[in-house]
Amino acid sequence: MERNDIVLKLKNILAETLEHTNFEINDALTAKDVDGWDSLSHMIIITQIEKEFGIKFKLRDLNKLDNVGALIDVIQTKL
Amino acid sequence: MIFNSYDFVVFFVVVFILYWFVFNKTAKAQNVLLLISSLFFYAWADWRFLGILIFNILFNYYLAKSIFKASKVAVKQKILWFGILINVGILGYYKYFNFFYENLINIFSSGTTFTALDLLIPLGISFFTFQSLGYIIDVYYEEVEPYNDLMLFSTYMVFFPKLLSGPIERVQKFIPQIVSKRVFDYPLIADGLRQILWGLFAKLVIAENCAVIVDPVFENYNNESGSTLLFVSFFYMIQLYADFSGYSNMAIGVAKLLGIKLSRNFATPFFSLNISEFWRKWHMTLTSWMMDYIFTPLSFILRAYKKIGLIISVIITFLIVGLWHGANWTYIVFGLIHGIYFIPVILKGTSVNKASNTMTENKYLPSVVELFKMLVLLVQVMLASVFFRSETVIKAINYLSRIFSKSLISLPSSIINGRNALIFMFIAFFITVEWFHKTKSHEFDISGKPLYIRWFFYIIIFILLLFAGRTAEAFIYFQF
Repeated sequence: MERNDIVLKLKNILAETLEHTNFEINDALTAKDVDGWDSLSHMIIITQIEKEFGIKFKLRDLNKLDNVGALIDVIQTKL
Repeated sequence: MIFNSYDFVVFFVVVFILYWFVFNKTAKAQNVLLLISSLFFYAWADWRFLGILIFNILFNYYLAKSIFKASKVAVKQKILWFGILINVGILGYYKYFNFFYENLINIFSSGTTFTALDLLIPLGISFFTFQSLGYIIDVYYEEVEPYNDLMLFSTYMVFFPKLLSGPIERVQKFIPQIVSKRVFDYPLIADGLRQILWGLFAKLVIAENCAVIVDPVFENYNNESGSTLLFVSFFYMIQLYADFSGYSNMAIGVAKLLGIKLSRNFATPFFSLNISEFWRKWHMTLTSWMMDYIFTPLSFILRAYKKIGLIISVIITFLIVGLWHGANWTYIVFGLIHGIYFIPVILKGTSVNKASNTMTENKYLPSVVELFKMLVLLVQVMLASVFFRSETVIKAINYLSRIFSKSLISLPSSIINGRNALIFMFIAFFITVEWFHKTKSHEFDISGKPLYIRWFFYIIIFILLLFAGRTAEAFIYFQF
């Protein structure tokens, strides 16, 4: 899957889970920059990503997610 | 040797002079001094447990290396679990053995009498064990590489300002600060002194005076009205906050005098709009530790259950937060209540955007809605803190049920007097200063204010310390 497609899908997942679109997806974006993306909603987002992309994360993967760029990289390696 | 003792002042003046004027040539010399003085500091507090502290350092230092060196993940995992077992085992033995033993005997053999082992809890064990656990788990997850310098690692572990009661520091944040030589940084040192002053004020004027109101009422709550008990639970909550945030400010301030920045531990938690924001600002280094090493793995395992999985994870995390404070059902119930407080926040989800869930930062006054939310949170925390203060769960329940009795609608006459009115004014001053510095790096960061305003505050606080400050033998969090 192209990186752009992943970004698009990710945008939908975030918009659906957080119920707003006040964010612009880019590699440097972090959870802190997005309203409502806190440690409670994080795992819901992760579960949605797994479902939508048909992948499975390992706990080890999650520890390395410093920003959206890193998240897209991890998704790409699993597709 | 607590921060507000003459022993500590003498000790620190000597360390300060040696650090900046004798051992100031290289980073290594500075670290040697920090290491030796920290071990001396610990031994002064209780030399009997120095062996456990040293064992903890050496064990985790070499264990982290062997996790890193192991080539197979399965082997790494086994070594990690061995490390967790030993660390938690030592902590569990000293802190929880009697508690679990007594409860097991009560459950399984009603006739047997329980004889407690004569165990003393090594000072600071909950804090340094958590640092070690965080380190070996981070090495396992390749978040950090193990350090090849025992001196650096030991200095991190024993650094005396944070040794007895935190902040719980992360190795990644601390060690880079001591790799190179620290240079005398006047603004940082001045800021450290301000933070110490505010910590002293919080501890000696606010916390200790609140204790004067709180202690007799908790001793004899059966004879007090519901309104008195409600107000006293407020004073206790302020006492607990002033005690531990005061301690933390002193610890961070003392570290700044040595050119080292420790993590913030409190960020005006009562100016929060819900329990989630409160915990992001209360004992922050413990919360972030619990988030990373307990909540995240748990919620990851339970993620298939969505919100129910989150609720279970939060409740287990807070039961552990409670138990971390000590081996008593009161702390466990305290944790449980805070976990339960999260349920509405989780169920409501994140549909409400962050702006309305977080205290507006740059306004002078809160809006009516914000004030109402703050008040609800305040009552939630006050009621839970009754469990934190009571000796047994039964006493806490009795205390709370007396609050919700007819006598709630009466004047809290037994605590209305001139002295308490004065204490209330000190608290109002304390809260006001914190409110106006809620977006600053600490609650008394007045570095940007003109000289005359700064000195106005220093003089007021000195006067209050001199005339309204009480002596204190210990901090509440030392027992943890």
